[in-house]
Amino acid sequence: MSEEPRVGVFICHCGLNIAARVDVKAVSEYAKTLPNVVVSHDYVFMCSTVGQELIKEEIKKHNLNRIVVAACSPSMHEPTFRAAIESAGLNKYLLEMANIREHCSWAHSDKEAATEKAKDLVRMAVAKARLLEPLEEIEFQASPTALVLGGGVAGMRAAIDLAEYGFNVYLVEKSPTLGGRAALTGWLESDKRGADVVNNLINKIAENKNIQVFTNAELIEFSGFPGNFTAKIRVNPRYVNERCVLCGECEAECPIEVANEYQYGLSRRKAIFFPFKAAYPPMYVIDQRVCIRCGECVKACRYDAINLNKQPAILELKVGALIIATGYDPYQPPKGEYAYGLHSNIITLFQLERLLDKDGPTQGKLIIGGSIPRRIAFILCVGSRNTTPNSRNYCSRMCCTSTLTNAIKIKERYPSTDVYVLYQDINTYGNDESLYEQAGEKLVKFVKFEDPPVVDIGPEGLVIEVREVTIQEDISIPVDAIVLSVGMVPRRDVTDLISITRVSCGSEGFLREAHLKLNPVEAPTSGIFLAGAVTGPKNIIESIRAGSASASKVAALLSKGKVKAEPFTAIVNEERCSGCRICIGICPYKAITLREVDGRKVAYVEKALCMGCGTCSATCPSGAMQQYSFKDRQIIEQTIAAIRR
Amino acid sequence: MSDNNYEPRIVVFACNWCTYAAVDLAGTSRMQYPPNVRVIRVMCSGRIDPQFVLTAFKQGADGVIVAGCHPPSDCHYISGNIKALRRYTLFRRLLDELGIEKERFRLEWISASEANKWVKVVNEMVEDLKRLGPIKIEVGVV
Repeated sequence: MSEEPRVGVFICHCGLNIAARVDVKAVSEYAKTLPNVVVSHDYVFMCSTVGQELIKEEIKKHNLNRIVVAACSPSMHEPTFRAAIESAGLNKYLLEMANIREHCSWAHSDKEAATEKAKDLVRMAVAKARLLEPLEEIEFQASPTALVLGGGVAGMRAAIDLAEYGFNVYLVEKSPTLGGRAALTGWLESDKRGADVVNNLINKIAENKNIQVFTNAELIEFSGFPGNFTAKIRVNPRYVNERCVLCGECEAECPIEVANEYQYGLSRRKAIFFPFKAAYPPMYVIDQRVCIRCGECVKACRYDAINLNKQPAILELKVGALIIATGYDPYQPPKGEYAYGLHSNIITLFQLERLLDKDGPTQGKLIIGGSIPRRIAFILCVGSRNTTPNSRNYCSRMCCTSTLTNAIKIKERYPSTDVYVLYQDINTYGNDESLYEQAGEKLVKFVKFEDPPVVDIGPEGLVIEVREVTIQEDISIPVDAIVLSVGMVPRRDVTDLISITRVSCGSEGFLREAHLKLNPVEAPTSGIFLAGAVTGPKNIIESIRAGSASASKVAALLSKGKVKAEPFTAIVNEERCSGCRICIGICPYKAITLREVDGRKVAYVEKALCMGCGTCSATCPSGAMQQYSFKDRQIIEQTIAAIRR
Repeated sequence: MSDNNYEPRIVVFACNWCTYAAVDLAGTSRMQYPPNVRVIRVMCSGRIDPQFVLTAFKQGADGVIVAGCHPPSDCHYISGNIKALRRYTLFRRLLDELGIEKERFRLEWISASEANKWVKVVNEMVEDLKRLGPIKIEVGVV
């Protein structure tokens, strides 16, 4: 653009969010003194329809060709203001935002200092805006295919929804079966189990032609951009094929026995095993970590369904979007925490749910240490809310509800068993508040603690010593069994996933959403979506909801067949370029090559590959490589304006 | 060393994905910190050319922070942060040659969730710079 910049500055009050700490009138007056600023306004909500109309009218009235909006973070309303100026006929990249809310009014209480800072931020934005150039978004074809990682309730729901929208879905599950944690845990209304929901979802997946399921499979590489990702997955062999009829004769012959993770260690399984009743695909599987390859199972199989020589397969999948729904791990108490691991009658909430499940190791009978406990106590917040040195900061949300549901079930099935619930606070949020009343009616005894209870293993059995804070007395509760209501923690292998997909995590290790309220199922990286407990503790219903939500977001991205990307790519000044190749080595996307122009070799940027990091621009020794919207001159002018008043 | 009213000026070059978002989060969480910082957003810490930092000092910035996503693997662009790390490890030696005290330049890794780290870094730097006093730099050196 060769024409003289005509800058319009628009200062937002954001109600009182900005105006209470920043003298917006003074900032607006100040903006009028800056070079090329033609007009400056302040308004109570610039993002409102009226505010946007003001911008549009002023663009037309004053023939503005650069716009500065001083308001919230660009991550909040940059799209809003881009759309506004575009509808007034300006190229949408001729907008620069000054972040005077998150970076200023919300962070500084001294009005004078905050106002001065806001002026500086506006001056910096104007300095950059004067040098902005019109740009066009880059458009790519989008693959109508999604990759869903994780075959739990969130991932399955997402896969089904996407398939119903008409997309192809690859559903990749690390373990040998779909189902996830909900197949083993969780009560929904009345006697409906998590497993019942899982079965329902599995049936839908089994009959849907648009969904291709890979179990025993994991993501090992991920690259590309929205609409055009390449995912490499490794499918580990299960050594058993579709001819398997689940007769179980292999299992009977297998000499290897290990703790059964599908019963949380309450029973044993063989090296060749079938995970649980509704497991999908319905085939046995060999746990290669423990198999000694003795061949007894092969001999026992009458259907030629077992092949011990099967090798892992590496597949490359082209996908338009990725949904990460890999879930959580239950908190594992270290040995000795509340005497866990020191006495076999101390179990976790997850183990208790296996015992109460009709498909569990005791067919639903509450048998702990050989008998039905007459007195059983739950300890809440194990691993959560800083109760012990090893625990996390956060509340795991579902443990209170789950504890009370199970306490009520125990009282219903074994009315003579005394049930104690030791708690700091009871957070049976939402409709589950009624559980608290029900538990009270069933005479579940609530004991409130501030300091964590101490579990003693005495000659007579287990005794809980606790200071009851409502009656301010130290009490001893002899019990037959203790259930530790453990919370949810990030999966141990989530760090691998983070390095493969480059999504980010919060301080607790759960994956982070782009914005908790505005983009709750989107990763900060576009084209990647998050569903279920991978972003933090969620119950089954919330996870299913997030699965559906993420599917609709993927559909919105891929349904047009094309995706758009920000045009902040690198651009070469061919006259300046000496062909030194430094940029070629430094580009993480292999987007730069040399090509011959007028007899000289110069750098060439493949726009479709350039992701717009700008590392080449910073590295170019001759200033030939630049980045659109982040050119050297633009950043330097902004830097000068940051200091020079 | 300096008078009590001296307020250092700090220019921050922050990547869009981690540190800029952390500064946003600090604001959203209403964390309070000294208003001496001016943040310039780039897409990646790999984009931050040493000439930007030198420009800031030349203009009279008392301190400069270059900030991005945690190495090795948090970078949105695979390895821009690693390139920034290498670049600014060398750059520090240059500052020494120019007589710019090492406290005036910080390379920080602040993830989008580490608003508290951002606040800590700003507090520390403002304190350091107040102790050092205004930058003394001969125009023409950089």
